[in-house]
Amino acid sequence: MYYRQLILPAAVLLSLHAVTAHAASETEIQELRDELQQTKTGYESRLKALEERNSSATTRVNAGSFNFGVSALFSAGGSSATDAELANLQAGGHDPNRNGFTVQNVELSIGGAVDPYLDGQANLIFLIDRNGETVVELEEAFLTTRALSYGLQVKAGQFFTEFGRQNSQHPHTWAFVDQPVILSRFFGGDGLRSQGARFAWLTPLPWYSEFYLGAQNANGETVTSFLFAPGEIVDGHTLIDRGGARKASDLLWSARWLNGGDLSDTVSANLGVSALQGPNATAIDTNTNIYGIDLYLKWQPIVNQRGFPFIAWQTEWLTRDYDIPGDSLKDRGGYTQALWGFTPRWVAGLRLEYADGRDNNGTDPLRDQRKRYAPNLTFYPTEFSKIRLQYNRDWAEHLAGNTANSLWLQYEINLGAHSAHKF
Amino acid sequence: MLRLIPYLISIFAWCSFPGWAQANLNVVTTTSDSAAIVQMIGGEHVQVQSLTLGTRDPHFAEATPSMIRRVHQADLLVLIGADLEIGWLPPLLEAARNSRVLLGARGYVDLSTSVLLLDKPTGTVSRAQGDVHANGNPHYWLDPRNGLRMAQMISVRLGEIDPTHAADYRARLEAFQQELERRLPVWQASLASLKGKPVLAYHKSFVYLADAFGFQIVAEVEPKPGIPPNASHLQQLIATIHTRKISALIMEPYYERRSAEYLAQQTGVKVVVLPQSVGAQPGIATYFELFGAVIAAFKTAGVVP
Repeated sequence: MYYRQLILPAAVLLSLHAVTAHAASETEIQELRDELQQTKTGYESRLKALEERNSSATTRVNAGSFNFGVSALFSAGGSSATDAELANLQAGGHDPNRNGFTVQNVELSIGGAVDPYLDGQANLIFLIDRNGETVVELEEAFLTTRALSYGLQVKAGQFFTEFGRQNSQHPHTWAFVDQPVILSRFFGGDGLRSQGARFAWLTPLPWYSEFYLGAQNANGETVTSFLFAPGEIVDGHTLIDRGGARKASDLLWSARWLNGGDLSDTVSANLGVSALQGPNATAIDTNTNIYGIDLYLKWQPIVNQRGFPFIAWQTEWLTRDYDIPGDSLKDRGGYTQALWGFTPRWVAGLRLEYADGRDNNGTDPLRDQRKRYAPNLTFYPTEFSKIRLQYNRDWAEHLAGNTANSLWLQYEINLGAHSAHKF
Repeated sequence: MLRLIPYLISIFAWCSFPGWAQANLNVVTTTSDSAAIVQMIGGEHVQVQSLTLGTRDPHFAEATPSMIRRVHQADLLVLIGADLEIGWLPPLLEAARNSRVLLGARGYVDLSTSVLLLDKPTGTVSRAQGDVHANGNPHYWLDPRNGLRMAQMISVRLGEIDPTHAADYRARLEAFQQELERRLPVWQASLASLKGKPVLAYHKSFVYLADAFGFQIVAEVEPKPGIPPNASHLQQLIATIHTRKISALIMEPYYERRSAEYLAQQTGVKVVVLPQSVGAQPGIATYFELFGAVIAAFKTAGVVP
């Protein structure tokens, strides 16, 4: 080859040049040249030696793709609303929901590669409810395949349904102290999660485009808009026990199509559409359908320091058709939120929300018309902790006087595994 | 709607047809520096893309949809390692589900195993010390001698994955080595007056540059890695600058300038904004141009003649 023919004369020239060069750099270059000569003769053994020189720490961290993390989310604050009213205003299971202090969520997560084929993950949560009782939940425990062909992936176990953007996110990654109203209404305080399996296909399209199709059990306290729990009352209908799943239509089916990409060097975006179908327990043959659209856009200038500054805009809109005997309840709602990381460690946010149910009588706190706006300010001392102050201005039809003002201070710590920078 | 289905199927089929993808090796790197080296070693046989821009701090990237797409299609994933990408590479690899580039596969190239890492902490490592990297300092590409080691590893791995062109990769490595051997003494001569001198750095990211060119980093503007300075730390630094007779403060272009400007104004220390990566500033397209720009920055600031 051309270069090879040059090696010898070049080496001669170099050594001549080296005589005139700085003495120290000459030795350094010679050392480097020797090192490379060695690596050429025994690259593999050399690499091993280097890896060993880089010591056991490297080996330990790399071999142990087993992560253990604890995150704890606390809040304190007060509202013009009473604790009883707050239970309806802040319907999320991890929302600050009483005057005084709340332990919103303490989450233990363990995860990693099971073997060359599977990853495993389990998230246990602890929280202290309004009555001061400690609640422990198996929030998620699932396996995912690591590398099936054709961009396919299977997930199985107990997991958050991949519907929209926020439902499958954990509270410590939320940008606000509480869950959007519409998610609390459709998916309950704990988010929509159940036992089942889902397939995902990362398509070979020239942009990021992924399909999800899932089937999960439709019953249980975390499957609110579907079979939910017998005895609960929805719009005056007492939920019945429809028995176990006998056919495919007794399960909760979910579908999602997520598209994303870079719009420029500074803007990235995700656009998703999601759908859910499953039985509900107001009668023996009633169904619920939920549809949603979600958009996430993030801007970061070309030059940035530790991920700052940035602007992130997130919006979701959901509609629900909930069959009841002889009729169908139609609900809708959504939120839009913008975050502005204006200087390293500081993020200002604003969220606007709306929800209502058609033909509601204005007294049902889960179907009445609601509006909420919430500005907040978050300080991140490091990636592993944060302090957040949020003001909520609520307007709710069911509420005496219609309005409520609340102020919440939230603090969070993360121990163990490094937090994942997901988009 | 149903009429669209055949069209959709044909689009997918077209996209997944193997001949549609370029015949070249598809190499994805986590940073622009390793992309520049891969380009020099791989030449026309590779198509290389960096996941992050040289203008941004690579610790703080996010696993964006376009990254998932690129890693999904990669034949080779070249990373800096030593926890530089700890925040975003694990979720990215999980989402991209590409067995060719998972840890342990031949397409997973962790360049940190090709160099000797400095700043490896001894004793217990705790987050109370700030962003301390347990495996050692990951900014090793700023030593040009490490650039050669990285090029060496890249050349070997490219040759393993694509044996047809292995001789080309070896030849380009020779050329890389020759050019480096030609340039290194020139660079060292340019910075000769800095040898043995104490220097202040903003972040703990220039230890390899200091090692390569023989200057000493005696303190950082950040009291702990990742923690911005407060007033009392700045006062201490002013005292250090005076007692140690420090003449230069080196920092990446993306950090805030206020602290540095304050120290300059108080002590006369010269602020040198150094490009830390290929692409950090306009006109730095290759790995060798990076060091040219580093030296130019020292000269412009008046630190070296």
